[in-house]
Amino acid sequence: MKIKNIGIIFVIVTILLLIPFTKVNAASDGYLQKVKDKGTLVVGTSADYPPYEFTVKQSGKTEYVGLDIEIAKQFAKDLGVKLEIKNMNFDSLLVALETHKVDAVISGMNPTPERQKSVDFSNIYYRGKQYMLIEKKDKSLYKNIHSFKNKTIGAQTGSLQYDLVKNQMKNNQVKGLAKLNDLVIALQSGKVNAVAMEEATAKAFAKNNSSLEVINPNFNVDSSQTGSAIAFPKGAKSLVKVADKTIKKIQQKDLINKEYIPLAGKYMTNNSKQNSMWNYWSYFAKGIEYTLIITVVSVFFGFLLGVLLALLRLSKGKFQRAIAITYIEFIRGTPLMVQVMFVYFGIGALVQSLPALLAGIIAVSLNSAAYVAEVIRSGIESIPKGQTEAARSLGMSQTITYRYVIIPQALKNIWPALGNEFITLIKESSIVSIIGVGDLMYQMQLVQSATYKGVFPIFITMVIYFVMTFGLSKILGYFEGRMKHA
Amino acid sequence: MPNLIEIKNLEKSFGKNQVLKNINEVVEKGQVICVIGPSGSGKSTFLRCLNVLEKPTKGQVIFENQDLTNISETALNKLRERMGMVFQSFNLFPNMNVLNNIKLAPLKVKMISEIETTKKAHELLEQVGLADKAEQFPANLSGGQQQRVAIARALAMNPEVMLFDEPTSALDPEMVGEVLKVMKDLAESGMTMIVVTHEMGFAKEVANQVWFMDEGFIQEKGSPNEFFVNPKTKRAKEFLSKVL
Ligand SMILES: Nc1ncnc2c1ncn2[C@@H]1O[C@H](COP(=O)(O)OP(=O)(O)OP(=O)(O)O)[C@@H](O)[C@H]1O
Ligand SMILES: [Mg+2]
Repeated sequence: MKIKNIGIIFVIVTILLLIPFTKVNAASDGYLQKVKDKGTLVVGTSADYPPYEFTVKQSGKTEYVGLDIEIAKQFAKDLGVKLEIKNMNFDSLLVALETHKVDAVISGMNPTPERQKSVDFSNIYYRGKQYMLIEKKDKSLYKNIHSFKNKTIGAQTGSLQYDLVKNQMKNNQVKGLAKLNDLVIALQSGKVNAVAMEEATAKAFAKNNSSLEVINPNFNVDSSQTGSAIAFPKGAKSLVKVADKTIKKIQQKDLINKEYIPLAGKYMTNNSKQNSMWNYWSYFAKGIEYTLIITVVSVFFGFLLGVLLALLRLSKGKFQRAIAITYIEFIRGTPLMVQVMFVYFGIGALVQSLPALLAGIIAVSLNSAAYVAEVIRSGIESIPKGQTEAARSLGMSQTITYRYVIIPQALKNIWPALGNEFITLIKESSIVSIIGVGDLMYQMQLVQSATYKGVFPIFITMVIYFVMTFGLSKILGYFEGRMKHA
Repeated sequence: MPNLIEIKNLEKSFGKNQVLKNINEVVEKGQVICVIGPSGSGKSTFLRCLNVLEKPTKGQVIFENQDLTNISETALNKLRERMGMVFQSFNLFPNMNVLNNIKLAPLKVKMISEIETTKKAHELLEQVGLADKAEQFPANLSGGQQQRVAIARALAMNPEVMLFDEPTSALDPEMVGEVLKVMKDLAESGMTMIVVTHEMGFAKEVANQVWFMDEGFIQEKGSPNEFFVNPKTKRAKEFLSKVL
């Protein structure tokens, strides 16, 4: 009885600890000191936003470049620490800041009043106009906001442009996507008629793609709402102060216009010169490697935990059964995507240094275990009762019966279902890309932003996934055949 | 003859359904008892209570001076070794060949050596007339052959008593004979046997005692001659008029 209570209390306490996305309101602001102690400044960004931030391939390695990255470098230098860039979805940046996954966010972010409620901003370091990216053939159709009547406009979810379109183009449908690259694909395939974008970015896309064109639709923009600033956790005044000094220095020398943007432009033209897919095979190779690592490790731990859950589920103890059933139902009743984000941001709030890859593996393993447990349970239950009775009537213990009679038969029955789970994981693990794990899906997005090609990287990725799943199903089929003969 | 099994006040209910009602019987060493009776009367349940595959609701089953209804799991396993059971549906392990079906329990439960169990298994296969089937898998055997393997498997533990629950009911008619022959040989070798069966011919020929069961009771018992020629109870008369 006592032990059961302790168990329940433990579960409740764990849940309570996990629920609040901890908002540390440090009484004395130790942010600056913390960064100095670590010796690294971790900056979050969404690197699909040239010329602000994007990726290039430098002697086989992925590098983050762009004007924001230059600012980050200068900022780190002024702090006297090393710089580490964390790339993730624009949507996830503020959460990452609040959960202290990153120290600062430099990602062409507008300091809107809404955002200022949850984070603090530096002074504005760059102010660009808000543009529309359209197809060149439509150039004559559009002049300003009003000429877009009844058209569908794309914008990055969570961005200023999204709000502008929503508020100032009431007769228009807004289509929000997380990645600019996907929006450009949507434009080229006619899903949207225009994409609202920041000036410099829009120009960058147009310059690298001859079928695209930019116009200035003259959004009515409140000047306090334009411009980009560096975001910090609420209360991090000490960091804001240093950042403002850095920005002042940069503006005095006009470094952004004189150095940073031209440099970004150079990288962009370099990129578009070498945007044959073959130059990016190493991205895909890396992606395959990560996808396989995540899948194999998750299959292994998912299977172990799944066996344990299945045995709990079939045990005589009510409490054990309740735990297993609750776990299985809960996991199967929530999307993997939410679980991945919960592990990374939720548990990551407790364990600060939880790397995204590990978080992804944990989430996928925990998820897989629930499905494997059900497969194993159904396998064990599918063995006729007479088998157990025959074994027990010969004097075999429960353990010997399971070990030599039930489990071998059950495994044989569920082998195809387990194989399916393996194959499913290869595909499902693609979801970890949202927290920035470098799996195949993630690498595809990098290649998209590096090459300004939307569809072709998707096609290659699709083929690679298919080759992996099809190959695996052939291998599993071979072993299944051999087991049948055994 | 000494008493091998004593059944005292045995009762079994499934929920509200009382299947066995206060059974008191004794099985002597070397006896061959045939239990007969209409379908649903509780014969299988009775047999399964003897080795506690079904836990009795009340009463005792005393075997080798121990009450099977009231001992530890380990002790129960130990005593089950000495009570072989043969099922209507054979229940051979489909994932092993005939030889391994027979060897598994002696190897893993009794920890007898590989060499010895193999030797014994071959002897038993000889005894049930299947010396040439050692390497076959159960799925490749006929029903009659499977049931003979099941008998050999139970015998491999050197049981004191053998329980049979309608061992020939699932068989095609032409295979019944080969199984009954094995059982008859076994009876002649002195094995104590409790056989639930619808084979009246076998009961007449081989049994020392016939127990007639209906509605959860042993309604009547006696030698095959007494019972089949001169049944005392009305129920037994009715039953025999239907089956004979
Ligand atoms: N596990 C169980 N749960 C509930 N009721 C059961 C169970 N096993 C048997 N019964 C019931 O107990 C009664 C006796 O069943 P039992 O199998 O012992 O009869 P039987 O004499 O062996 O019949 P048959 O000749 O058809 O094999 C039946 O009414 C049956 O429905
Ligand atoms: Mg029966």
